[in-house]
Amino acid sequence: MMKMKKAAALALCLALFTLLLAGCGGAAGQSGSQTGSSGQPAEDVLTVATSPDFAPTAFVDTSKEGQEQYVGFDMALARYIAEQMGKTLVIQPMSFDACTTAVSMGTVDMAISGFAWREDRAENFNLSNEYSPSDDPNLDRQVIITLKAKEGQFTAAADFAGVKVGAQTASLQESLCREQLPDCELTIIGDLGTGLLQLKNGDFECMAVSYPQAEVFMANDPDIALAGFDFAVEDSGTVVVMRKGADELTAQVNEILAKAADEGLMGGWYAEAVELAKSATASEVVFDEEGNEAG
Amino acid sequence: MDFSLIGANIAKLLQQYWQVFLLEGVVNTLKLTVIAVFFGVVLGTFVAMCKMCRFKLARFFITVYIEAIRGTPILLQLYIFYFVLPQLLPVLKLSPFMWVALALCINSSAYVSEIIRAGIQAVDIGQTEAARSLGMSGRQAMARIVLPQAVRNILPALGNEFIMMLKETSLASTFFLGDLMTSYLLVGGATYLRFEALIIVGAIYLLLTYPLSRVVNAFERKMAKDGAD
Repeated sequence: MMKMKKAAALALCLALFTLLLAGCGGAAGQSGSQTGSSGQPAEDVLTVATSPDFAPTAFVDTSKEGQEQYVGFDMALARYIAEQMGKTLVIQPMSFDACTTAVSMGTVDMAISGFAWREDRAENFNLSNEYSPSDDPNLDRQVIITLKAKEGQFTAAADFAGVKVGAQTASLQESLCREQLPDCELTIIGDLGTGLLQLKNGDFECMAVSYPQAEVFMANDPDIALAGFDFAVEDSGTVVVMRKGADELTAQVNEILAKAADEGLMGGWYAEAVELAKSATASEVVFDEEGNEAG
Repeated sequence: MDFSLIGANIAKLLQQYWQVFLLEGVVNTLKLTVIAVFFGVVLGTFVAMCKMCRFKLARFFITVYIEAIRGTPILLQLYIFYFVLPQLLPVLKLSPFMWVALALCINSSAYVSEIIRAGIQAVDIGQTEAARSLGMSGRQAMARIVLPQAVRNILPALGNEFIMMLKETSLASTFFLGDLMTSYLLVGGATYLRFEALIIVGAIYLLLTYPLSRVVNAFERKMAKDGAD
């Protein structure tokens, strides 16, 4: 008798718990920034993981709601891919390192978040062909930034001997530093924004970033300048990351990428993303001149 | 680093993004915290009961549950709930927000259960013995004698758990669930004014936690005084 009562109480408790949680969560889902469900991807839905804290590649336009708020070059591409596949796009935001976890777990169909081609990535995932916003060679550059006071003082790999250089964890820049600046003191950073703070704090003298990134930094912050060193890179377009073995999907994405390039869409997406990123910057008070120059 | 522009930048960010910080960030942070602590208490009470029950097997499993949850980082639990459980339980069609809320509830339940257990066990055994010797049943002794005294130990600790959870919800920003830390990531990521955004978010967290901790303190004092009467 006692046991039955206990079991009933337990069942009731759990039922109440899930019910109320579902209730709360449902309300939250309606109002909030999340719409996707994190189960197995449905047939007519294309789920894409992205780390939307990286203007102009992928970021959030806070004046918009729901899926609309994810903007940037990669998000324009994601919308195009979904449209071409005839699917509804669901963007699932998460931190950069969680994106690849989501792909390998099968939580999402693909990750589009400014992923560069890397050997270890190619081993563990299906990567699409590389795409890049335009033919502008600046976009492929991988550079080192430093404080204005040291602008142009680091031009050769030898200049970096014993110099602290920051690079984002698991990024292309990290492997470039290891390969091409073997004598530098590599400091790993979690995200670029924090890295920028550390750079300005003097935690390290230099930071390895892509040129478009450096451009945004320099436009927003007069203290930041190019160190004068360019990494030797072959082709640093970015790729779409898909689950290992998803060959059909990969072929389909490659076809769509080729089509977008043929139609010359990517340059437009990129220009639009940069414009949006600039308008998102709190520019009037502080950065007006630089912003206008860059524009 | 140049600190002269920070004031102006913070004002600018607040003017342009106040609704992201306050309407999105604060509301979602509080929502996650309230859900986590409320269900944490409901579930935690049950867990504490199991932990103190007569059945050895139930005690064993509950101990494993509590130790597993208290012994692993909450970020790891969020990953499990976000990535692994939806695959194992495809029937449960929960949104990412709900999975993370669920993870926080489970996490909270383990801590709350220990708070409750400790609160109950801190009541002198003589109280139970006295109640039983007056002819009360075990249940009566618990409900009328022990629990009212245990509440005095438990409530302030629950207040602290609320404050702890309020800060721990920041981990939900790993999945951009709209809490305050997500506000920082979004605004910082769009404007690259990360430091300024951090200061704003930090100030808001303090504005939330400081009054709460004052309330808990006042409550603790009141409870202690009432107990002395």
